[in-house]
Amino acid sequence: MTTTVEPGNGARTVGAPPCGALQRPSELSRNIDVSGLVDSQGGLLDRAVFTDEQLYRQELRRIFATSWLFLAHTDQFHKPGDFFTTYMGEDPVIVTMDKNRNIRAYLNSCRHRGARVCRADYGATRSFTCTYHGWAYDLEGKLISIPNKEGYADNFHTDDWGLVEVPHVDSYQGLIFGTWDPKPVALRDSLGDIAWYLDAMLDHDAEGTVVVGGVNKWVLEGNWKLAAEQFASDWYHVNMSHASALMLLSPGGKPKDEVVHRTGRQYVDPKGHGHGFPVHPRNRFDAQTVHEWMDYAALRARLGDARVEGPVTTGHGTVFPNFSYLPVNGSIRVWHPKGPDRMEVWAWTIVDKSMPDHVREAQRLYNLRTFGPSGIFEQDDGENWSEVQVISHGFITNSVPLNYQMGIGSERHDGRYPGVTSELYSDAAARAMYARWRDLMNTPAWHERKPS
Amino acid sequence: MKYGIRVAAVDDIPKGEGISIDRSVTGTDDDIALLRDDDGCVWALNNTCTHAEASLAEGWVEDGYVECPLHSSKFCLKTGAVQGLPATRDAVAHRVELRDGDVYLFPRQGS
Repeated sequence: MTTTVEPGNGARTVGAPPCGALQRPSELSRNIDVSGLVDSQGGLLDRAVFTDEQLYRQELRRIFATSWLFLAHTDQFHKPGDFFTTYMGEDPVIVTMDKNRNIRAYLNSCRHRGARVCRADYGATRSFTCTYHGWAYDLEGKLISIPNKEGYADNFHTDDWGLVEVPHVDSYQGLIFGTWDPKPVALRDSLGDIAWYLDAMLDHDAEGTVVVGGVNKWVLEGNWKLAAEQFASDWYHVNMSHASALMLLSPGGKPKDEVVHRTGRQYVDPKGHGHGFPVHPRNRFDAQTVHEWMDYAALRARLGDARVEGPVTTGHGTVFPNFSYLPVNGSIRVWHPKGPDRMEVWAWTIVDKSMPDHVREAQRLYNLRTFGPSGIFEQDDGENWSEVQVISHGFITNSVPLNYQMGIGSERHDGRYPGVTSELYSDAAARAMYARWRDLMNTPAWHERKPS
Repeated sequence: MKYGIRVAAVDDIPKGEGISIDRSVTGTDDDIALLRDDDGCVWALNNTCTHAEASLAEGWVEDGYVECPLHSSKFCLKTGAVQGLPATRDAVAHRVELRDGDVYLFPRQGS
């Protein structure tokens, strides 16, 4: 752990809220068997996974309510009361540092009538007060004030009505994740071998990373999986989609053969993660100032040749389900689902804490220019995802399977990169991601009542 | 009560914030909030908001007022006069003197 912030140990479990006579009918959450929508062996995908409203509701229940989801960076919390509001799936959550300096996360919804108790994007506070009737909660989520409390009966206990807490919050190398699963696989185990690839971005030196600038947020038409899948598995699109940007950045403006015919590896994780990267002895950081500042010999000593010649610089990764990153730019982002047809992209720029200000600024500007909301690469990707989504509700269009067959059979242990890897140009990690998606979608979640 | 009760050093109170002095020290009905404005002046009000159970010492001190941290009613630092719902009753104000970097309180009895 290179961070100075220790997230909560996650020992707390969600107290069963008072339900009285309420019992939600199971018809409200009917589940569909998705086995027939994903052919991970044959590399085929049914387009309904991007468009169907019922499947989307099932994703919220069985993927977003069960997986470790990225919440924030530890650098966003320095003193008790510092908070950041975000989403887990479509659930609004407050991430904050409590009085004991533990990072905790709460459902951002008043227990009374359900409004958000924190409307700000981020800041510092001493309590969270609902603007509707004034129920107020402290940094530990406890209900501490109710106006006109004399109106409630003697058996009303404020202890029953605290904010609903995310039961497990943990961090890895400065990245804070949370899960609603009361008995989850530990975060580190859930990451598995992708931690080795993440370290290529997060562990350049002992000081770790910090956030520069704010969080950029933008809305895209497109299912969240289109973006998650591309960052897990898709180098293939680079030369076509980003041709104009590559030409702009190419010295002398001349197309270069070695750019188009790069070779590299793609990490394929059975838990749905993925990370692809070109492999070359002279891989470097794109921003000139960052390149000149980096001590590549020190990086080789700390991270090893395989990483410096691979995932340290150019490449793309996704931690299942919806956290993605680009090491060369220091871009980390979440694809928040907003219905089957829309996502919100929330993107941070992270840099090495050891970087002097002018290097941090160079990386911030380089990331903004390339992968900011109006970045020359980012716009290409958003355009493609929206293009795919906007036509996909057509009946015939929707029923024609999509091709994920590149690199079938190429998955192997190559002896240099951990886990199973495929070629740089391959759909292997996407196939694994959808296999994981299928398995979770077909598995009853922790919150579902056991059939009696 | 000619000299007041020494209750804190001025530097114990960050500018724009407050601290609470226990009633066992002040001998009052309520704890007392010492509130330091951005000019460095220190003011004293009964700590419990007149609207609901909330500590004014945890409030926000700004522009001559302390804002309750829970429901945002504001009280005049100098007089305790309430400004704005949901509180409707004034807070009790107490006299304070600063001498040699220390805060001396003159609690108003029988509020």
